[in-house]
Amino acid sequence: MAFINTWRQSGQFRFGVIVLSLLILMGVFHQLLIRLHIGDTDPRQIGAFGILESPSWAHPFGTDPYGRDWLAMNLLGLPSSLLVAGIAGLISTVIGAVVGFVSGYKGGKTDASLRTMTDMLLVIPTLPLILTLGAYARGLSVLELALVLAAFSWPFAARVIRSQVLSLRERPYVELSKISDLKDRQIIFQDILPNMMPYLGIGLATSSVGAAFALVGLTIIGLAPSGVLDLGTLLSLALEWGALSLQQWTLFFAPMTLLILLFLGAAFISQGLEQVYNPRLRGQQ
Amino acid sequence: MTISVETIEAKSADNRSPVDTRRKGRLNPVVAYLLRRLGIYLLTLWGAITLSFLFFRLIPGDPISAFVTSMESQGRYGAGDSSEQVVEYYRQQFGLDGTLLEQYLRYMERVVFHFDFGPSLVSYPTPSTDLIMRALPWTLGLVGAATILSWVIGVLLGTLLGWTRSSWISRWSTNLSLGVSHIHAYFIALLFVYAFAYWNPWLPASGAYDARIEPGWSLDFIGSIIKHGTLPVLSIALVGATGWMISTRALVVAILGEDYLTFAAAKGLSRWRILTRYVMRNAWLPQVAALGITLGGVVGGSVLIENLFRYPGLGALLVNALGVRDLNTAQAVVSLLIVFVLTANLIIDLLLPLLDPRVRQHR
Repeated sequence: MAFINTWRQSGQFRFGVIVLSLLILMGVFHQLLIRLHIGDTDPRQIGAFGILESPSWAHPFGTDPYGRDWLAMNLLGLPSSLLVAGIAGLISTVIGAVVGFVSGYKGGKTDASLRTMTDMLLVIPTLPLILTLGAYARGLSVLELALVLAAFSWPFAARVIRSQVLSLRERPYVELSKISDLKDRQIIFQDILPNMMPYLGIGLATSSVGAAFALVGLTIIGLAPSGVLDLGTLLSLALEWGALSLQQWTLFFAPMTLLILLFLGAAFISQGLEQVYNPRLRGQQ
Repeated sequence: MTISVETIEAKSADNRSPVDTRRKGRLNPVVAYLLRRLGIYLLTLWGAITLSFLFFRLIPGDPISAFVTSMESQGRYGAGDSSEQVVEYYRQQFGLDGTLLEQYLRYMERVVFHFDFGPSLVSYPTPSTDLIMRALPWTLGLVGAATILSWVIGVLLGTLLGWTRSSWISRWSTNLSLGVSHIHAYFIALLFVYAFAYWNPWLPASGAYDARIEPGWSLDFIGSIIKHGTLPVLSIALVGATGWMISTRALVVAILGEDYLTFAAAKGLSRWRILTRYVMRNAWLPQVAALGITLGGVVGGSVLIENLFRYPGLGALLVNALGVRDLNTAQAVVSLLIVFVLTANLIIDLLLPLLDPRVRQHR
């Protein structure tokens, strides 16, 4: 419901949904696409094609110094990036929702202490902390990696959700439920949660972007867990090979463009949701 | 300055005019505001440093074994020497002996009173403090220049976008900058490096200055710094500026709907006066307050940018330190970055009452 509503009202939301859906489709069907593109050749096989070929019809993004088709490699890396971003975004939205709910609903000292913590994590630079953790924790799986990233990207979701709970708490129908002696749990799940969906969406989109970028940061610096092949790894490989000085622009351009599209898609979804559901912004477009 | 304020105060007490007594009453809330803000700063600083201490102590893996192994691989010890004794020596050297509480108290004492983070490993035995102080000016310059540049350009252009909101140019630029603002500065930096340093070799691709020029206050050296800083600063500033443009535009559009603007126009004020005195002043004040929140992200992002440009700042130092598992230096960098961001936030908050009379009244 909220989806259709936003789809109809916001061009930004439509743009974001289309871009992100395309990326997810590409990620889900990456094996099929690779097969269509280079046939039965294993995309990781070294020396399958010529070395450092320029873009052509056969290899739209050229080939890397090991003779692998760069488009196929990117298709191979896309699912990990999407997966880490999605899982980390989901986990941090859950953390953020719980913190935001408790903070906004309980108020008082609980709110004050939770808010101090949230604000602190929002203000201090977290990327250095994530980099440090990445340097010491080797061999993380995709899920563990997502957990680490989520631990740092929940504050934004918490803040968005808290402010919304604060405003919902004062609505007449919530007052009514309180007077009628409903339990906190009932009020939260029946009165407040249904109205929170767009805000959870905003939280999900923003924390996914945050997590995805932190992952890129980790891989660019070369501190990412070694087992994961994602777009950031491809980007850092391209830089390592000297794609810039060799002027093989497709090598860094391909993973970069996919990453930018991923960020843009998620950001525009959150922007669109905010445009439609945040009354303070609504009048401004 | 203070004297003149006091004389005004004294005069106002004599004259007892209503305006001046109100002025006198205002001073106290400001002091209260400043004190409260300072208290919050110290508390947050303590919390952040404590958390980062815990964070570095709870990192999986034994840093000392990693350290000794790393020393071995650098040929500082024979492989056989890494006995219990060596490990114990370094445990003491790095303040890692005793219970967690003892370590914490010792750490706080060392860092707070002596500003000593212990020896580094990147260039052992140079203290980590020396390394971070050497790197700090570069990061300060990079982040400071980029932040100020992006804020000024972004707020000015954002006001323009809001002021001319119905024109098609404004609409298209808004959409364009909305898109650019969500691209991370690192990617812009990559494009810039490729376009302006490799494809067209106009600007240097790495370093902070030309190594052939003697560092000093010479024109050549400063020119070299500016030339090397252009690409990193511009790539951070471009993304930052578009972000400020979007938020300033939103603020301006909201202000344009206010009744007092209709009143000002009805009073016959010129459009220019309305723009500068009513719209801009109301739009840029909240943007000053917002500066602090964005700073953490800029500082974090600059770590990546510095590494791309091999800029000798804190970010590059952090990555070098992490590469050889240099816990002390990494911790020093992280702590310094936190202190930097929190202090910048404090300064902004302390400046606010000077800029915004409403803060003086309400708090």
